[in-house]
Amino acid sequence: MSPPSFIVLARHADDIPADWRDRLAQRLGQRPRRLGTWTELALYGALRCADASAAPPDAATRLRVTSTRATATATRQALTQACEGFPLPFTFMQSQTSHMLAALAAHLTWTGDASFIAAGGVEQTFAHCCAEAAGSPLLFGVVEEGDPLVSQWVWLAPAQPGADTHAHSFAHALTGPSPLAPTR
Amino acid sequence: MNEVFLAGRGIACSLGLDLAAATRAVIAPPPAQRIDLGTLGDFPYRVIDEAGHDDWYARAQRIVTRVVDEAGGLAIRHAPLFVASSSVDVGAHEGHPAGFIPDCHAFAQRIARMLCWQGPVFTLATACTSSINALLSAARLLRHGTADDALVLGVELANTFTARGFAAMQLLSRSGAQPFAPTRDGLELGEAVAALRLARTPSPWRLCGGANVVNGADAAGTCAEAVIAMTQRALADSGMHASDIDLVKVQAAGSPASDAIEAGALQTAFGRDVPLCTYKHLIGHTLGASGAAEIALLTAGIEAASLPSLHVAADSALHLHVARPTQAARTVLADILGFGGGHAAVVLSRAHAS
Repeated sequence: MSPPSFIVLARHADDIPADWRDRLAQRLGQRPRRLGTWTELALYGALRCADASAAPPDAATRLRVTSTRATATATRQALTQACEGFPLPFTFMQSQTSHMLAALAAHLTWTGDASFIAAGGVEQTFAHCCAEAAGSPLLFGVVEEGDPLVSQWVWLAPAQPGADTHAHSFAHALTGPSPLAPTR
Repeated sequence: MNEVFLAGRGIACSLGLDLAAATRAVIAPPPAQRIDLGTLGDFPYRVIDEAGHDDWYARAQRIVTRVVDEAGGLAIRHAPLFVASSSVDVGAHEGHPAGFIPDCHAFAQRIARMLCWQGPVFTLATACTSSINALLSAARLLRHGTADDALVLGVELANTFTARGFAAMQLLSRSGAQPFAPTRDGLELGEAVAALRLARTPSPWRLCGGANVVNGADAAGTCAEAVIAMTQRALADSGMHASDIDLVKVQAAGSPASDAIEAGALQTAFGRDVPLCTYKHLIGHTLGASGAAEIALLTAGIEAASLPSLHVAADSALHLHVARPTQAARTVLADILGFGGGHAAVVLSRAHAS
């Protein structure tokens, strides 16, 4: 069976600017509270990607996020707090990857199938997400709270048979030619 | 689209170290142990009665290997492996957080090495719904013909970190989970490792479909609209109608608010008094493993006509119809609701009498 093919609806591949938190606050209309840096980064990239499309994601869209470190910073902080008694509730929440999924759903004003998934590298994870999303739109993000900060997103839609696709790989979807809607 | 079947099951939980033992123990479950959380006090905790407490990873390897073997997973080591967990191996790093490995896929890779796994390995982390979402992700690969088999492994092993987090959020009961009871005052946590082997070759239980609905309205709670959407989408994905469902295995962890929201939303979604059953008062809330663990127990329990009873009478205000242990069921919906606005369900149908 041939792998499903997609076209790129929108993408966010830019480096994270120094003032990304200010830009996120401007987009949200307020500074996010108690989300944690990793979730805020995910929001920053996902919203910029979604804003680059003419319409918001629909209920059929599958949202998938991957990362190597994910919530490692918050988890280590919560573990340290636990050594001293118990983790603070919001630190504990920030250590859960699902906390990010809820924030994305809320700020994309979207309800649907969202998961955090990791495999042996971004491309393997991306290929799996494309395979399981066959026939459905896919909003896929790579978010790393490291040095450098990363929040790269592609929004894909199923391609018609024979269409010229731009999503042979995550790298190609991010940087390949002629996405239907370039990043603003 | 290919049909997907539940070809093998394995479990280790507080009810027993294999599925037969755990299914028998549903009738007379062992009492919960207590977990000491220092200044927070102590709470009920459902542990796997596995004698070795030498090294966290050594114990994990023994339990995981036994459970995967019980499910027939060692015979499909070329297939995709989905490791679903909320706490992963955080229990191995308690007291020395500097040793925590900042790689969220490292535990799944370690499990793969334990099992000499040769196929692709995935980590699914969506808190309590992790193993339901792993099951759905794996099933799609089989449906689309990308894989012939897959193994879903839910792993939630001993740690005080999660318990401290839940206690800090005032989510735990001090006396024990009482799903749907008028006196319910919180949930209790538990350990479980559960494996579900999926295949395209027919087996008694068919995995008809399912749905995952994340709603951002309440990151830590249950949302009625999302429960209804989850049910409707799971039925649609399965090609089923609400009237086809004989039994619903609910989340019902003993939370005062979430139990009531779930019960009310299911009544709305089904438009009738659908029979319910729950396992949280027997094995605790096993978080990322709970979906796989409870599906293993549910399907085996139906085969053995051994469904769980509630400890206490259900809250009359909830108007519940709790299934009796002798009731037969052929088509079931199993849901898990959790942190991060996750609401996930699968529909399973017993294709052939066994």
